[in-house]
Amino acid sequence: MRFLYTFLVFVLLASCSKELDLEVDRPYVPSNLDVSAGAWKTFVSSDVSVAAPRLVTDAAYLKEIDSLKKVVIPSLTAAQKTAIQYWGAGAVLRWNEIGRELAARYNQPPAANAAGIYPVPNPADPLADPRFPFANPPYTARALAYLSVAQYDALVAAWKFKYQYNRKAPYEVDASIKPLLPVSTLPAYPSEDAVVAQASYVILLAMFPGEGPFLAGKLAEAKNVRLWAGMNVGSDVAAGTSLGAAVAAQVMSRARADGMSAANNQAIVPGLIANSKALGFVKPWVSQEIPARPPMLPNYGTVKTWNFDRPTMISIRPTMPYLEGSAEFKKDMAELEAINKNQTRAQAAIANYWADGPGSYTPPGHWHRYASKAGVEAKFSEVRMARMLAYVGTALMDAGIACWDTKYYYYSPRPQQFGLKTSVGLPNFPSYTSGHSTFSFAASTVLSSFFPAKASLFNSYAQEASESRVFGLIHFRVDCSMGGKHGKVIGDYAVKRAQADGGQ
Amino acid sequence: MGQQGLQDASLWLKAKGYSAHGLTLHGVLGVSAPVSNYVPDFMPMSIGIGSKAFVTRGIISYDLPKHIYLNSSIAYQMRSKVQADRDGYLAGDRFYNTSEVAVPDAFDAALRVGYLKKDNQLELFAEHFSCVGGDHIRRNDMPFMTNDMTMTSVGVYGKYQPKHLGVNARVAYVVDGRNVGQSLSLSVGLLYLFKL
Repeated sequence: MRFLYTFLVFVLLASCSKELDLEVDRPYVPSNLDVSAGAWKTFVSSDVSVAAPRLVTDAAYLKEIDSLKKVVIPSLTAAQKTAIQYWGAGAVLRWNEIGRELAARYNQPPAANAAGIYPVPNPADPLADPRFPFANPPYTARALAYLSVAQYDALVAAWKFKYQYNRKAPYEVDASIKPLLPVSTLPAYPSEDAVVAQASYVILLAMFPGEGPFLAGKLAEAKNVRLWAGMNVGSDVAAGTSLGAAVAAQVMSRARADGMSAANNQAIVPGLIANSKALGFVKPWVSQEIPARPPMLPNYGTVKTWNFDRPTMISIRPTMPYLEGSAEFKKDMAELEAINKNQTRAQAAIANYWADGPGSYTPPGHWHRYASKAGVEAKFSEVRMARMLAYVGTALMDAGIACWDTKYYYYSPRPQQFGLKTSVGLPNFPSYTSGHSTFSFAASTVLSSFFPAKASLFNSYAQEASESRVFGLIHFRVDCSMGGKHGKVIGDYAVKRAQADGGQ
Repeated sequence: MGQQGLQDASLWLKAKGYSAHGLTLHGVLGVSAPVSNYVPDFMPMSIGIGSKAFVTRGIISYDLPKHIYLNSSIAYQMRSKVQADRDGYLAGDRFYNTSEVAVPDAFDAALRVGYLKKDNQLELFAEHFSCVGGDHIRRNDMPFMTNDMTMTSVGVYGKYQPKHLGVNARVAYVVDGRNVGQSLSLSVGLLYLFKL
């Protein structure tokens, strides 16, 4: 009996461990330094410059080296060493992660007030209820697209000046400096980490204006670790900071003028509903929330795209979905009714896995995560990582814009308007086409081009993400199949652009 | 879609410690684990939280005249991490890139006063349950297994056991709490007494 007790306690103590199996990314040496990346074509920025650095024999430079040796490196705390390892895994990777985390934290739909009105988040007062932004999938797609584009453009410029000035890293200048991160022959001026940190800070602060202190803390740490680790001197970091800021300012000019400020224009809604009826929809989309919530970003379809122009977007818009009463509609409906009656555990698991609803980084965030992971596994250099994420990110934003254009053009009803339940949250916008399907196939198409060996894996993810919306009962099959095709076409435009930027 | 099915199974061992002058001390050890593959992260529609638990409980009871008793218990519940359907989630201000979820441990305590004659019983109780840490439900969002659930409930319990076969019933109402529903719960049970 005593043995049994002891055994039970032991087994339970072991199984009660709360150590989580978290993904840990560690510093690595890139498989290729991409020496010629300074000539790659950028998305937005042009004509940025960096002043020539002092020579490594200059007294001012030697003073910087001295401070690394005497002050910085010998007095590191355990927390500083942890920070070095954290940021050492990659500046682009970490800032992408921070962007995803902020998206998750701000992905909260406003709650209705006592009068039954949903207040609109106010960018001038971001921390008041409801907080600004509501980081829904279109918002997050856009935030992460600008983040990745700014990182990429800034790194292309950084690479150009690195190889133009060719200033060596502190540990190459003075062999007594023992760097705490893996080293390469990449020139140190301007610091690529500072470039990415400053550009990311500017974009994320614009997208999440209530997070100033949080982002300032990350910015300071991201720059400091370069000194703590013996990877850069102060002037490497300062040059990177001003370059990152200059590129981010140009990228933000595009962001401010891309039409996002009018994306929630609710005045166009009556016209959209009238168009839907004229197209033959007897029962256009209606909010299923109580009280009824205005549709999410009805004018997001007019935001400026990245990899194709507006006439092209209209020309690739998916064709009419099935109308209520048609044989095809009945077939799609029958599939949903069967799942409604007997959803399997496996279907529920897939629906939950890809739900990416409130409190999550949304489907665009999910794909940025998978993209980052693939880049780390391939040991991409910072600039190649940023390039890949910029194409994935812009494809995701284009997918959001083109999908929203489609959704509000047809304004088609959700399955719940025909009496179906759901096992995931019901999004508050029209049904056709599925955002998950469009986002996922756009991203998987770009990722398949960057990682051909993983093409079938990414496509199976996209297929599963797409079908998850049928399993969760919030989309008809046609919403997903047509959204997926649309997403693939959208992804192809990003791939085509990537093939012409000199970075292949 | 609501969920249905078997939730968790538990096994309890109870040992009598000190007993004199109407005062009795008991120690209880218990284990509980899910017995079906239900969805844990679809609260509040989930039928359970999905964690295995190891419970250590101490009970003190005092017999008053005329079959009246006082009873108090306190317990600590060690709860295991849980495998969610999703591969990432927000808890507090941090996003966790994993499908594993740490469910906070919990305390519970109770105070009861009742009447017990032979095997028939009527009791009034107040119970308190509180997690050790955890985060709060975000505004306008769903609950999650990491939530710091706290509740105080009051209720009545009764048991009628004329022979081997008996019935019991319990009514409880949550009077105060956070990250839980303010629920009124009714339960009835069928009892069978074995002779050992």
